[in-house]
Amino acid sequence: MKNNLNSLGVPIAIVIAGGLVALAIIFSGGGSKAAINKGGAQPPTGQQEAGAIENYRKISDKDHIAGNPNASVKIIEYSDFECPFCKRFHETMNTVIENEDVAWVYRHFPLDSLHPRNARRAAVASECANELGGNDAFWKFTNGWFKVSPANDRTDFEVVVSDLVQEIGLNETAFNECLESGKYDEHVQADVDDAVATGGRGTPWSIIVGPNGKTYPLNGAQPLSAVGQLIELAKSEK
Amino acid sequence: MFSALRQVFSNARYLVIASTIALVVYTLALWLPNVRLILDILFSGTVSFSEKLSFLWSLYGSIATNFTLVSATYTILISILFGMSTALITYYIKKRRTLGGSGATLSIGGLISGVFGIGCAACGTFLLTSFLTLFGAANALAFLPFGGEEFGFIGVVLLLYSVYAITNKISKGVVCSV
Repeated sequence: MKNNLNSLGVPIAIVIAGGLVALAIIFSGGGSKAAINKGGAQPPTGQQEAGAIENYRKISDKDHIAGNPNASVKIIEYSDFECPFCKRFHETMNTVIENEDVAWVYRHFPLDSLHPRNARRAAVASECANELGGNDAFWKFTNGWFKVSPANDRTDFEVVVSDLVQEIGLNETAFNECLESGKYDEHVQADVDDAVATGGRGTPWSIIVGPNGKTYPLNGAQPLSAVGQLIELAKSEK
Repeated sequence: MFSALRQVFSNARYLVIASTIALVVYTLALWLPNVRLILDILFSGTVSFSEKLSFLWSLYGSIATNFTLVSATYTILISILFGMSTALITYYIKKRRTLGGSGATLSIGGLISGVFGIGCAACGTFLLTSFLTLFGAANALAFLPFGGEEFGFIGVVLLLYSVYAITNKISKGVVCSV
């Protein structure tokens, strides 16, 4: 009897393991709202069903766009200023937009439960840079931040932001007033809600939109070669 | 331990089993974050077979871009150790037709633990994050000293012990106990 039980041990263990791994995959596809909540108190209150990539907020002139705004392929990236993989992917995307037929749309996705100190504040700061210096200032701030930030909430916020504000040539007093005003809190939260509504559960989370509107979800800091191939696939679907 | 490893892996069949399983686990670890995209592309009627292969191949590059040095190391170790462990269990079962629970259980435990550790601790894409969310405990990750990478370490330790336990059984010989 004991031998019979022992011989059944392996297949039973494998079935249980398979089940658990499958469950983990299914749950991981369901979106991790608690991980991205501000303070983890309430899930974002998006009207759309979580995980439907087609629900992305349409690209408008209110978005921050680098590269050719009229390009046939658009990449919407939801990013966190303190995520080390966003830092890597930022470099990749700067190379990607050397392709003249790609537009890079930047949206905020600060992961407050992982980077409570700086991620959301940096997102607001980038919006203040945009308000005072336009789209160009936004990208200078974003590129500058990712260049110097050690990531994982270890950035000396005051020093880095002050340096960037001076480097870009923004009015420091107006910038600080903007930062303290809370006027961009809703804007940043709207981006977070949009990320969640489209199925984002971590950063960097990207949606590649082809010329015919077909969308491709891309999770994580994937290599340049993978992004390049996705762009070509998106272009070929006309 | 080493003589048992030599004994098993001098047979090409077990080397193939170990390599295949290791490759499958490694591939799953790299592809898991993009299952939806991969399925979209695999079932797309407009993407050629070579383009599909080429895209899947390009995702292997994510070991350098989407993993930290630590997580890349334990992902590779978990893949290799799980492959070895499976081949050793197969060998042992084939010889004795049974296996005392510990070896297999540890292997499976190691894989599960490792799987939960796969992902980006700093960016919330851990499988563990999703699992904890079910229990409203996703923020608990912030309190773990390594932000969840612990599960990867535990996976490696369990699998190492599993290989050790099974090779010990093999070394003791394939005999009926009294």
